[in-house]
Amino acid sequence: MSAVTVVSAGTSQRRPAHPARALARAVLRPHQSALWFWGLLVALIGGGLLWAAGPGFDAVWDAYLKSGCRETDYCDMGSAYQRYDMVVTLGPAVLSVAPALIGAWAGASLIGRELESGTAKLAWTQSVTPARWLAAKLAVPAALIVSGTVLLTLLNRLVWWREERLRHAVGTRDWFAVTTFTGNGILATAYALLALAVGVVAGLLLRRSLPALAAGFAGTAALMVVLQGNRHHLWPVTEVRAAASEPLWTGMLVDRGLITASGDRISDSLCEDFDCGRSDVVGYWAQSHPASHFWPLQLVETGIVVAVTALLVLASFHLLRRRTGGAA
Amino acid sequence: MTDTAIEAAALGKRFGWRQKGWALRDCTLRLPVGRVCAVVGPNGAGKSTLLAHAAGLLAPTEGGITVLGTTPSAARERMAYVAQDKPLYPQLTVAETLRMGAELNPRRWDAAVAERIVDEGGLDFGSKIRSLSGGQRTRVALALALGKRPELLLLDEPMADLDPLARHQLMGTLLADAAEHGTTVVMSSHVVAELEGSCDHLFLLGGGRVRLAGPLDALIAAHTLVTGPTGDLAPHIVVESRTTGRQITALIRPEGRIAPGWQTAEPTLEELVLAHLRAPGAPALTLTDEGDADNSQGGNGGNDDGETNGTRTRGASV
Repeated sequence: MSAVTVVSAGTSQRRPAHPARALARAVLRPHQSALWFWGLLVALIGGGLLWAAGPGFDAVWDAYLKSGCRETDYCDMGSAYQRYDMVVTLGPAVLSVAPALIGAWAGASLIGRELESGTAKLAWTQSVTPARWLAAKLAVPAALIVSGTVLLTLLNRLVWWREERLRHAVGTRDWFAVTTFTGNGILATAYALLALAVGVVAGLLLRRSLPALAAGFAGTAALMVVLQGNRHHLWPVTEVRAAASEPLWTGMLVDRGLITASGDRISDSLCEDFDCGRSDVVGYWAQSHPASHFWPLQLVETGIVVAVTALLVLASFHLLRRRTGGAA
Repeated sequence: MTDTAIEAAALGKRFGWRQKGWALRDCTLRLPVGRVCAVVGPNGAGKSTLLAHAAGLLAPTEGGITVLGTTPSAARERMAYVAQDKPLYPQLTVAETLRMGAELNPRRWDAAVAERIVDEGGLDFGSKIRSLSGGQRTRVALALALGKRPELLLLDEPMADLDPLARHQLMGTLLADAAEHGTTVVMSSHVVAELEGSCDHLFLLGGGRVRLAGPLDALIAAHTLVTGPTGDLAPHIVVESRTTGRQITALIRPEGRIAPGWQTAEPTLEELVLAHLRAPGAPALTLTDEGDADNSQGGNGGNDDGETNGTRTRGASV
């Protein structure tokens, strides 16, 4: 192996490779194990989702037809469904967990360890400015992350599209479940890029791998919990009212309550019983996001995530410039 | 084309916000191109900080530094730097490390030079950096630096990890390469002996300030080691004096003729450095090259006048 690599070093000197591509290779080379891990993860989950969209779903649908279930809340479809359910749960779940792991990796391995061990200095004293080094450190992982998350998101949507009959029949999955919502749209990719930026800033600030690992993980997780917890505020809700009993809402329920004789609207989310112990109830209301709000909600949340990511990227360049003092 | 490799003007660097955190203060010096310069001083003197500023790795807190006639950032491609702890990616092989050098320096890389330095150490190109000894890693780091074909080579404690044989051999390679290509070399060390005979310029730092700066022969010529019976050494500037019985041995900067009762000798580099390190209160001295019009005396002592010309004081010591 050694002889081959030496020869290729010689050739690259005679016929210089494109500088940007060479820089990308130099950025990737120390992270081969992370690259392998990400590639294998995407291949495994992607393969599983492909199976689920094809033979996996067919087997479940056969089992459903054989079970003789009518429209019930619970329907035993046997081991075929258990296998299928595991894979289709894992698909979106991986996309929801991946950002925190990406944040930890970017903080610890991509930036923190380089600053801690001094290998960043090695890079900055080659013919590469710190700003270009950071740009490559952001762009190359971002390209690989986006390819992986976009592929998995598309496969998630393929499964989602194929199993529509099943959801209709037995109501297996809701579009607004936290991981499903993230894994079925552009949010998975946006959060993965946010995580990269969080990790990079954490690494540049802390300059050591272990603290940056913790900060990258916790920072990403905290941002995701806050944003996902306030997801329902990001688009105007649809409200339905009914005089006699609880109205029929569809999709993601945000809040519901009752209307009193004096015209007050009271939320009953904290009440034990249906009427909240009041006798002057004249009607009921419910606020929800119907399925048609999927894309508006995705777009607004993605916009916020992208804006935060952009700010963090700017901050990372600013931090680096302030430290190294390089104008170029 | 400039003839100045490094020029620092009142350069200062403070780490953190404490008033005592100054690693380098009021550092004014100039290094002409083509020199092999030793940066000497005790631990914590500011040697690494000075080199890191020249390499464009740190932003000065005050003052400024230019390298090869431009900012360190703009000169990045034309200089090489080896940090004190010789950072390399432990998970890469030697060959991959050199390939990285080729990729990151596409316009300058000289694979033959880098491979020769690795070869001379008998290193296997396929072995991982993490499996190498400290000395072998130093060799790879130097190969990476020289493969860049730098005009200015900044080495922070380059030989600390090497055994005497490897040190001698690698230093020889380094200096021959530098002489052949006219490379300016700056290397820091706290082992003075390792620099004797290989450098022709000296920066002595202490407590974050410049103590001595200038061409080595001029600096040595500006000092005289005198021995004699206890007595007054005025008007000469006494850097350091030690009394043993009725004998006094002192390193002085002669101001005029030395009285006939004294035995005089030219100090060695080591004597010069050690005397200044033992006497932190001695005034600083900055000399520039003979006939060099540039008047860049930056010493903060009061005795800089008239010592620009190194030969004048030599005449007084006979």
